[in-house]
Amino acid sequence: MTEDYFNFTDKLFAREDIDKKAEALKGIRVLDLSHMIFGPTAAKTLAQYGAEVIKVEVPNQGDYWRGGTYWGKYWKHSNPLWHFINPGKYFVGIDVKKPKGKDLILQLAAKADIIIENFTSGTVEAWGIGYSQVSKINPKVIYASLSTYGQFGPRRYAPGWDLLAQGASGVLSVTGHPDTDKYFKVPDFFGDFFPAYYAAMLIFIALNYRERSGEGQYIDGCQAEILMRTLSHFTYHDATGESLGRTGNMDPTMSPSGIFKTRDGKFVAVAIATDKQFQSFCKALGRDDLAQNDTYKKAASRLKRENALALNKVLEEWVITKDVQELSGLAKKHRFAAAEVMDDVQISQDEWRRERGSAILFEDDMYKKLLVEGPIAMLSLTPGRIKWLTRPLGYHNRYVFKKILGLTEDQIKDLEKERVVGTWDYRVGQRPPIYHDLSKDRIFNYEGGEDH
Amino acid sequence: MKEVRTIKERVYSRYLQKKGASKLSDWKNILTQLTTSEGKPEALDDMMVLDLSYANFSGNVTASFLAEAGAEVINVEPPEGDPSRIMSPYGANVKGVGIPYLMESRNKRQITLNLESPEGQENLKRLVKRADILIETYAAGQMDAWGIGYRQLRELNPGLIYIAISPYGHYTAKGREMAEMPWTDLTSQAESGLAALVGDLPDAPEPYNWPTRAGFYAAGYTSAVGAACGGLVASFFKRRTGEGQMIDIATADAYASCVGFPPTIGYVWKKPRLRYGTLDYGLCPYGFFKCQDGYVAIACFRDQDFRAALKLLGQWKIEEEWKTLLDRITDDIDKVKELNAVVEKAVGKYTYKQINEKFASYSVKAAGSKWRGGGLPVTTKMMTPDEVLQEEHWQTRGTFPKIAHPSYGIVTLPTTGKMTKTPLRVKWISANIGEDNDYVFEKYGLVKK
Repeated sequence: MTEDYFNFTDKLFAREDIDKKAEALKGIRVLDLSHMIFGPTAAKTLAQYGAEVIKVEVPNQGDYWRGGTYWGKYWKHSNPLWHFINPGKYFVGIDVKKPKGKDLILQLAAKADIIIENFTSGTVEAWGIGYSQVSKINPKVIYASLSTYGQFGPRRYAPGWDLLAQGASGVLSVTGHPDTDKYFKVPDFFGDFFPAYYAAMLIFIALNYRERSGEGQYIDGCQAEILMRTLSHFTYHDATGESLGRTGNMDPTMSPSGIFKTRDGKFVAVAIATDKQFQSFCKALGRDDLAQNDTYKKAASRLKRENALALNKVLEEWVITKDVQELSGLAKKHRFAAAEVMDDVQISQDEWRRERGSAILFEDDMYKKLLVEGPIAMLSLTPGRIKWLTRPLGYHNRYVFKKILGLTEDQIKDLEKERVVGTWDYRVGQRPPIYHDLSKDRIFNYEGGEDH
Repeated sequence: MKEVRTIKERVYSRYLQKKGASKLSDWKNILTQLTTSEGKPEALDDMMVLDLSYANFSGNVTASFLAEAGAEVINVEPPEGDPSRIMSPYGANVKGVGIPYLMESRNKRQITLNLESPEGQENLKRLVKRADILIETYAAGQMDAWGIGYRQLRELNPGLIYIAISPYGHYTAKGREMAEMPWTDLTSQAESGLAALVGDLPDAPEPYNWPTRAGFYAAGYTSAVGAACGGLVASFFKRRTGEGQMIDIATADAYASCVGFPPTIGYVWKKPRLRYGTLDYGLCPYGFFKCQDGYVAIACFRDQDFRAALKLLGQWKIEEEWKTLLDRITDDIDKVKELNAVVEKAVGKYTYKQINEKFASYSVKAAGSKWRGGGLPVTTKMMTPDEVLQEEHWQTRGTFPKIAHPSYGIVTLPTTGKMTKTPLRVKWISANIGEDNDYVFEKYGLVKK
């Protein structure tokens, strides 16, 4: 008798074993020169799987996302929405505009496997820390420049971020209800996060190639172009000669489909993907007539606009007669896809996500408990993990400058006096939480020896 | 547009003439290398991928990403085909193949195997012995029940990277309970916190204030890019150690784990966000506003950007009231609406061209002048996909190659991944059921019944 499959997989992915397992990217050093979300998230993905990521910020200013946050609400003198974008990194403050600061960055670049930046095209070259300079001292480096419009093409100098990339790519124009004058953004900076994972993917591709060939290279991660990669609308347009436009809350690739109100005032998404699912869905509905109807039997006909809209109406009228629990039960029994629309609080309290490791209640040395997201991909042998949340601006100066660059305490003090390197000022987001006793912090006052 | 561009170019080349800057010719040389993939090696042309995706489009896309980087991707379907073939907007198709499927059939080999039959399973095992990555999207445990799951296949090939993509994953109590639940992008959007935030404000009429879908496979593509990242990390580890592993993706969560906001916000503030229409939780103004000939982005992060935008839009008189970022990030929705309305009214007086020229020329002056506040007001026009296709910028970048196929004619597809040595590229499309049976059966010594 073979072991039950889920007993096998539960052991394979057991959360309590994660810290004992190997890290795939151990020994890979990343210099993260980026800011806000797009670049830092790509670097975070590398840190998650074990790379040593050194994040460089401007002293007394830092990444603008440190002071970001929603509704102007902070948490322990920090932006809570900053912690899950930069966990597990080393934070140094170096002023690139000072010649000595530039030299420090180049010294780190010489020892890096991967460099990530997300300034407007040409900015790092103007500072003298672009690929054209770094590749001369470190030919094996993988250097990723991430920007809204890419490094070449007539619009390359135009700055931008999530919102602009959503607008420029067509993503914005396809989200919302037809025949209204409102276009909705895809929420939570999708235009930064998706391109960040895609950029990380390009870096992993380059890393695999470097492992084979010993060669580094330069990557042009173009945010708007990466968003276009998710749209079938271009192919649709050229194949049919028509524009798909906005489709409200239905999915036109599935019929019926939509998000509807239940009897108990909640919202449920239902979508029927295959002919088999349609048959069992009709059983749940008790509508054998629909199941037998030639107009709806096969997907090709069921998906036609007028047929899909007719079925969506049937679905809407059925959903309003049921409570959300009853619907979930029917969906499970009859094996068609239905799911309650979940909000922030439901997601944060979801037991399944905690058990799976998709949401991790992390206990940090400095910030204590915070719920942050886990990796998208769970790896059985080399799982992703969080080692610490973020740290204040310049917190790892001594650790990085002594351990990696071999500077002495006196040299660092001189650089501090000349304002080449530095830490935080009074502003929220940069400084440590008030209860944290810096004088006893052995990493902040690093003298040598132990690892972080 | 052209003139503005030239001014910007001049400012940037001035930067590059500064002491310590890179040589302009060095930089230009690198940019030239980015423009083509011709004659360049492919990063993953030593990798073989089996794509067993069935009625779950995220699997097809994961395989596409690897195929574009040079992997040999063999798409294994049952003889009647993968139901994803017909998942297409309003059923639109070219010779029976749906648009999304056609678009993701890049660089793949199409073969048919009946995985429920002993012959099909034997052939799959022959392929697995040579494979680096296997992608499957069947109900959790289904492959295992057929005798071709991860624990059986890893015996044949210890280096195998086995990627399972399903709504709730292949472990946990819920994974077991919901193993039979089918995948759809819409339900994944709903469960991952996306749909709850898209839609009009609570006081708008029904159904416009209901949760709304992002108008494309937002959850599907997010699952795919996460799966590809996981697969490539595992592949890197395999290159160093020879060891394979299993990777698990839950599509009902992938979006929330990608953007990260929902779990942390729910935990810290214990209050769910509402649908916010075209407003933004972070700051105001941050959105697209209706101008005379379309929609234009006004997004001001820093105080200096806000000041610049006010000057340009002729609204300086309200500066006092909204001076600092903390005035403009608030959970008082009425205050946000008030500022938003001022911006909306001001923008409505101009065409996109007028706004763009104002903004672009201001940025140039501000870039070299501290006393102007250093603000960088940025803007762009909302483009529809049809308009994007016409834009010179994307044409120059080769974003939309047109690929010819004997059955489907010329197909336009988006592609991205410019790299100096091993860029991603689209070489061909192959979307007929079993189109490459002969090639693959012969190459890998599979047995025909």
